[in-house]
Amino acid sequence: MKVYWFLTIALLVCRVPIACCAEIDEFLGDSQLQRGKEIYAQSCAKCHGAQGQGVNEFYEEPLVGDDSVGQLAEVIAETMPEDEPEACAGEDASAVAAYIHFAFYSRAAQVRNRPPRIGLARLTGEQLRQSLADLYAVIDGVTQPVDQHGLQADYYDGDSRRRDNRKIQRVDPTINFDWGRESPGEDIKPEAFAVNWRGGLRVDTSGRYEIVVRSSCSFVMYFGRDEKEFINNHVQSGEKTEFRKSIALTGGRVYPLRIEFRQRKRKTELPPATISLSWVPPEQLERIIPSSNLLAGSFPAAFALQTHLPPDDRSYGFERGIAINREWDESTSAAAVEFAQAAFEDLWPAYRRRHQVRSDAERALLKDFLTLLVETAFRGKISDELRIIAIDRQVDMEPDDQEAIKRVMLFALKSPRFLYPDIDVTQSPSQRVANRLALAMFDSLPADRELQKLVDDGNVVSPKQIRQYVAAHMNEYRVRAKVLEFLHEWLDLSRISNVTKSEEHYPAFNASLLQDTRRSLDAFLQTVVWSERSDFREFFTAPWAFTTPQITSYYGDAWLPDQDNSELGFPGELAKTVSNPSYHHGILTHPYLMSGLAYYDTTSPIHRGVFLMRQMLGRTMRPPNEAFTPLSPDLHPNLTTRERVALQTSPESCQACHSKINQLGFLLENYDAVGKFRNEERGQPIDASGSYRAQDDIEYQLVGANELADFLASSHDAQQAFINKAFQFFVKQPAAAYSPELLDQLTEKFRQGSLNVRELLIEIIVAASQQGIEPAKDQLAADNPT
Amino acid sequence: MNNQATRREFLRKMGISTAAANLMMNLPSLARGATDQLPRKQRLVFIFSPNGVIPDHFWPQQTGRDFELRRILAPLADVKSQVLTLHGMCNQIKGDGDGHMRGIGCLLTGIELFPGDIQGGSDTPAGWSMGISVDQYLKNKLQADAKTSTRFGSIEMGVMVPDRADTWTRMSYAGPNQPVAPIDNPYQMFNKLYGQTKNREILASVLDDLTADFRRVEKLISAEDRQLLQSHVQMMREIEVELQSELAHKSVDNALAHREPVLPPNVQEENDNIPLITRMQMDMLVHSFAADFARIATFQITNSVGQPKMRWLGIDEGHHELSHEPDSNEVAYEKLIKINTWYCEQVAYLAKRLAAIPEPGGDGSMLDNTTLVWTNELGKGNSHTRNNIPFVLVGGGVGFKTGQALDFGRVPHNRLLMSLCESMGHEVSSFGNPDFCSDGSLTGLS
Repeated sequence: MKVYWFLTIALLVCRVPIACCAEIDEFLGDSQLQRGKEIYAQSCAKCHGAQGQGVNEFYEEPLVGDDSVGQLAEVIAETMPEDEPEACAGEDASAVAAYIHFAFYSRAAQVRNRPPRIGLARLTGEQLRQSLADLYAVIDGVTQPVDQHGLQADYYDGDSRRRDNRKIQRVDPTINFDWGRESPGEDIKPEAFAVNWRGGLRVDTSGRYEIVVRSSCSFVMYFGRDEKEFINNHVQSGEKTEFRKSIALTGGRVYPLRIEFRQRKRKTELPPATISLSWVPPEQLERIIPSSNLLAGSFPAAFALQTHLPPDDRSYGFERGIAINREWDESTSAAAVEFAQAAFEDLWPAYRRRHQVRSDAERALLKDFLTLLVETAFRGKISDELRIIAIDRQVDMEPDDQEAIKRVMLFALKSPRFLYPDIDVTQSPSQRVANRLALAMFDSLPADRELQKLVDDGNVVSPKQIRQYVAAHMNEYRVRAKVLEFLHEWLDLSRISNVTKSEEHYPAFNASLLQDTRRSLDAFLQTVVWSERSDFREFFTAPWAFTTPQITSYYGDAWLPDQDNSELGFPGELAKTVSNPSYHHGILTHPYLMSGLAYYDTTSPIHRGVFLMRQMLGRTMRPPNEAFTPLSPDLHPNLTTRERVALQTSPESCQACHSKINQLGFLLENYDAVGKFRNEERGQPIDASGSYRAQDDIEYQLVGANELADFLASSHDAQQAFINKAFQFFVKQPAAAYSPELLDQLTEKFRQGSLNVRELLIEIIVAASQQGIEPAKDQLAADNPT
Repeated sequence: MNNQATRREFLRKMGISTAAANLMMNLPSLARGATDQLPRKQRLVFIFSPNGVIPDHFWPQQTGRDFELRRILAPLADVKSQVLTLHGMCNQIKGDGDGHMRGIGCLLTGIELFPGDIQGGSDTPAGWSMGISVDQYLKNKLQADAKTSTRFGSIEMGVMVPDRADTWTRMSYAGPNQPVAPIDNPYQMFNKLYGQTKNREILASVLDDLTADFRRVEKLISAEDRQLLQSHVQMMREIEVELQSELAHKSVDNALAHREPVLPPNVQEENDNIPLITRMQMDMLVHSFAADFARIATFQITNSVGQPKMRWLGIDEGHHELSHEPDSNEVAYEKLIKINTWYCEQVAYLAKRLAAIPEPGGDGSMLDNTTLVWTNELGKGNSHTRNNIPFVLVGGGVGFKTGQALDFGRVPHNRLLMSLCESMGHEVSSFGNPDFCSDGSLTGLS
């Protein structure tokens, strides 16, 4: 089979096909479509099925995809029917193409024929983690954004930490000190002093972190809540100066952190005083914790689930909680037990302090406390009947408070009322809106007091009310973390890891440089989204980037830091580069992406082209017919990479896709396998010309990365791909399940609103908040007695 | 009897099918027949109480078998035939750290402390011990051998150990600079020992309520969405059946062996609960031994320079504070005798509980296979001497000859640590600092 059709996007469980009246009218009035239908029935349906669904042993794949009518017509004219390609050409081919595009091939047709619905799903792993973090925060609240980065530091003369010994109060941007045998500051004697650092550790992404403290002196580090010891080196002993501890942390959370450091007066010789605070974030190298992740001030306790949760189903192209199995079930039990322990150790004492009662009323108070937790976990008020089952009965069975809490938490956190957030059909409309809002916005449940108040007053129902809350809270760390994860997903960064390059060709390229480029990319993405204009186009066309000394020395003048504009830097050690209006930095040519989308020693126009097609332009493509090894450059010493790729993909069976892929990938040929700019390869000038045919059938001829960036910034396909991805990531349902027009409406609004990314995300959350799963029919009747 | 009998032959003679044997092998008396080849279980427990003793009311006046238990040791009367007192053990480790620090830090390690920044009331500052302690050393040895390995290997228990890690609060070391924190919260201990089982019991008991709730919730949603919930609830039901069968087996085992202790609820960690917490911890220790969770334990009552206020004895002052009083202070002297007698009562309680339980799968009582080593960081409180440190052994675990009082004159306590290793089947040429080991292990103990 020569023709290469495009793979369907997986659809949800479908109901009876319905075509809307306007479309049917359009169909009946169009003679071309009628003609196409007749030809299709005669010549095509035998192999492809009457509705393009495929036929066993002929052509099994359904005819669905996102090629334009024109592209389809070309393929049909050239290749169909298989035994007599010339039989259907010209206007006949166009008529068939128009018909199948309208009837079942296009996305619009797919949605019309098989409307996706909002499907029930359990919490994903990340949603479970985030929900428990907010359930924990129901007592003390969630950290709100603060301006000051670094840690609050108090320096004391003498090691006793008495207030009148405090000589210096300041904010230290990082902890990385080597005082030797000297004093750390004015009025402080070197032989005995103490330093307290206090603040919060802000975590960008969920995962396992290693915290590393190096100190020649006594210190104790508290973490997660005020008095919780994390690393105890109260006793400085022997030569031991390095302390490591690994812990799973949750993205978007701020963990209170305190370090009490002291150089103790001693009779023996004074050792030098040093201390540093580093970390090893997931899949990264160790480094001093940058000030961008440190916050000065006092922060409420925060919960970090340590239980490992199995990865979620991604068969729809985004994470969805639809896999029900033992491994997952056991992890929810372990998570419930772990949370119960924290509830007993931290939350229950805090609650008791606030509601002091006589000792004979303690059990009643315990039930009140557990009711608060259960109602938060169940996302709404619980009936008396449920309260008796979930709380009273469980507590009455266990005289010991700790066991009673464990029992209630096991019941609550394994209940479908917690695990399936959409099972809230009996709750008030405002509660249901808040539940979906919190899920879309934070991957969590609505636990904060402001939102709870809005729910109680019924003030979060209309789109305007929802938008108001969402807009006011977009800046929260929880949202920022989710946005960053989304941008990683958009760029498919999980595919890029452990990039290594040929030492022969790229001797100075190493893991440390790669890590700098990753940080540079992350800082860039965040700065674009959270800047005033939050302009989508900036992702592609920004004339600046973030750099480090290492990046500048490797990548050259385009990466020189802007000396005059230091306040524009990202908190931490990253500096903004000089702006160069004629050169688009942006994501496309970013060295992290360019080196990731390349081979060990050469570029890969195919990887880059597929990335542009799939991720940037949202086009669907089938995987290659078989696995190929790229042609070795050594066997074709006179060919450029472009020529080698063209040679290898020249067979007709490859060209169906590669004519599109290569034409996009070639546009980035000015960037070599590590993302360095080049004008020639193997002594020949770089040919960076290429093309793209959009879904609206317009063909664009482009040359080089700058033109590509300008094109993507304004491309309807690229914008819609971004919106579609954002919707799926934030809501974990397909946009079409909410309404067939929603994606187009969001795109229209995005274009009208000067492509503001933050506004777009707000609109997505607002749209998702207004609609949930369908309740059972009798339940509908019960809700609406009229 | 034919010593070559295989397990299957043995079972056949007993008239038990192999299927039934799987269940019955959990019963101690039958399991033993099949495991005759295993060495006798030997357990060793170090019990620590702080601040030295009042020697005149502690040490027996005469040595040999014809010895008398004086006031402090009187609570051991019922198990006197199992008691061995060792006078003359001296902690001669020098180096950094004050007497209390070296008293506890070198007690089971027999080696110096690292230089560090913890400054005591006298002497130079110090850090942690430079070596492994004898309990952890033996634990590693026992765990390395399938014949003697157990679920936990060792259990480190404490009673009201202050919530701070320093040289005065740590007795056990997994290696140089690696102090092992004792668990002094009985509920935390319970969680460690039985938590998984207990959690499964709770889970089994809430599952029924949960599946009922699933059925209520199912009705709320559409038929399409219901499928996901139904596959979930079906899995939960399978788990419920499995858990119930697992727990039913366990309760059969439990009824025949020894039930895990039931702790009184909501006991706070505070001074006045010391007697209750001690009892809770000891009961769990006894059960852990009966269930063969571990063969080695440390039991640390407070810490070096510990300050329990034994108000239950009518004593309001802290122990360490009292221990500095001169012998001429008769009131303090009398109180110190009472305090040490109370510690001895705890040792006696543990000994008697072990003596009352037949050794599961073995001969004699559990005490016959357990040695309690009651010790202290100092010989005498007000002099801070580390000569003649209390070493009172109870029980037959290590196989020393009991029912006697011995006096070794003045020997480094490292030699006793060597003897303990040797008697547990792991002979060493030195333990701790070799300078104190040249005379070898102690003679005349067995």
